[in-house]
Amino acid sequence: MTSRTTVLRRRSGASWRVPALLSASLLAGAAVVSTQGVVPGQPGWPPRLAAPAPGEIEVLPVQGNVYMLVGAGANITVQAGDEGVLVVDTGVAQMSEAVLAAIRRLSTRPLRYIINTVEYDDHVGGNAAIADAGETIPFRAPDYAAGPQGALDVSKASVIAFLTVFHRLAGASGTPPRIPEEGWPDNTYSIPQKRLYFNGEPIVILHRPANNDGNSVVLFRKSDVVSAGDLLDLTGYPRIDLEAGGGIDRIVESLNGLIDVTVPAANAAGGTLVVPGHGRLADHAEVVYYRDMMTIIRDRVQDMIRRGLTLEQVKAARPTREYDARYGRDTGPWTTERFVEAVYRSLIRS
Amino acid sequence: MSRSRGRRGILVGLLILASAPVLAQVDIAGVWRPLPRNQDGSGMTGDAAGVPLSAAGRWRADSWSPADFDVAEWVCRPHAWDYSLEGPLSQMRIWSEVDQATQKLVAYHGHINQQQQETSIWMDGRSRPSANRLHTWSGFSTGEWDGNALVVTTTHLKETYIRRSGLMRSDRAVVRTRWKRIGSFLQATVIMYDPVYLAEPYIRTTMMWVNDPALPMEPYPCEEATETAVSRGRAPHFLPGRSPLPGLDPDARDRFATPYEARLGGPETMYPEYIAKLREFRRPTRPVTAATEFGP
Repeated sequence: MTSRTTVLRRRSGASWRVPALLSASLLAGAAVVSTQGVVPGQPGWPPRLAAPAPGEIEVLPVQGNVYMLVGAGANITVQAGDEGVLVVDTGVAQMSEAVLAAIRRLSTRPLRYIINTVEYDDHVGGNAAIADAGETIPFRAPDYAAGPQGALDVSKASVIAFLTVFHRLAGASGTPPRIPEEGWPDNTYSIPQKRLYFNGEPIVILHRPANNDGNSVVLFRKSDVVSAGDLLDLTGYPRIDLEAGGGIDRIVESLNGLIDVTVPAANAAGGTLVVPGHGRLADHAEVVYYRDMMTIIRDRVQDMIRRGLTLEQVKAARPTREYDARYGRDTGPWTTERFVEAVYRSLIRS
Repeated sequence: MSRSRGRRGILVGLLILASAPVLAQVDIAGVWRPLPRNQDGSGMTGDAAGVPLSAAGRWRADSWSPADFDVAEWVCRPHAWDYSLEGPLSQMRIWSEVDQATQKLVAYHGHINQQQQETSIWMDGRSRPSANRLHTWSGFSTGEWDGNALVVTTTHLKETYIRRSGLMRSDRAVVRTRWKRIGSFLQATVIMYDPVYLAEPYIRTTMMWVNDPALPMEPYPCEEATETAVSRGRAPHFLPGRSPLPGLDPDARDRFATPYEARLGGPETMYPEYIAKLREFRRPTRPVTAATEFGP
């Protein structure tokens, strides 16, 4: 009897333990399910956002006929259509092959135009290789008998830039050029704007001196996209080349000009989209925040100059202090200190 | 007999618990009326008590000017989604998107009446967009169930205000929102992580709504201003150390007589232990009129 009871008890124990274990395992499973994903304080936090690996080009559709290429140095803007391809800036030289491959994924039509927003290496480095892969539509047959003026080089894309960009890329006589001759701008302008009509879209190139005296901003009026170059750098403070005509006042004024042509959609978002020189795709709000930051820093340094502070005292006062965690750099070619110094010197000059 | 009943009870309990995560995935869809809640802070302009500002966040607030709201470009800047949950008492509609073929939940979409902010909470396990995509006022959100709470993680946010007096969060912030439905009530807890302007996560806990299907939603057309008190191209701000905001005036008294040191904010001011420290500080005595959003 005792033995039987024991057996029954054992059976009884087994009868509830199995489902209990099952339930416990379900609970454990539920706990695993409920905590899957990224959790603060655990590995993987904060959520990692995808970005191109070194050597890779990310192609982002912007809107209309316009795309943004990331990963070749400065951002590259591509407009593609039946008439061919137009690119704004060409990245660094060593990424040209990858850039061309990315462009070919978007369109196999001829590459007709390159527009340079500024002459920095990460904007013009690919000019020669990428221009060489394109071709210009001839407006007349070449006349080789007429000498150099008659021989049209239609076997490369046309490179458009403000005149001073050409001067600095070609260099003074006797000095080595900054980039190979094939990449020099051969279609310059020296008035407030140059206009094209390409792929069924008005394209307006605005002269907006900022980092130096040669900045261009490119408006794609049908796609409603602006390619801003380094006038808008969402990864850092803007470079200012005083000797080449750059200055903080010019940056603020050109940012205001950029705001003028950037129309937000409902609730101050979207609408005209902006491809910055560096960093993520932007819209009106990002430009306004950046303008506000530049204006505030300019006003502070201006006030310090009025109060007689020296450059070292201005640097010590850290006029950029609340923005440094987001935009500042302690290393590399363009540090926060160099930016503050450039702001100071540009205001002293003016 | 009683031991057997006890075991059965344990078994039933375990089974109920085990099934809870599935059964408790409640539906948060509906039209929701906000319930009155405690305002965050005293309401004095410039008060940051309880906000874990970093040094950068403090400096940013020090130069903020109320005229910022008069900048033509900012006239249509909306309250971001996470601010709208806590800031204005505004009705909200949440609806679900279901894949017809599988009948699985794809997303919850939300609309807040105030300034018509909208959000999407993707429930289909999709990955986050590239870091180079456009950031928005509502960001990109994914949701997953944690028991009966819907946990939403939001990235791709634009910079915006935590309080409308210069307390900012950056475009690098990540916001976690825990939604809970309790019968006809909906509750949200927002935890904000910002490596730029916050030294520690900032938690908002007081948001509560009641289901009210009859609530209407109003349109909110907004047109960019052409003429405002701030001339074109100006960015209103106060130079360092020269802000006249009452929150930064050591003698100005808010409705709670919060000491000036506490009004500067910072992580310490979030915790209950800080209440004891408050007693060590001088209480401001000079009343300030018209200095708050909610009265002196």
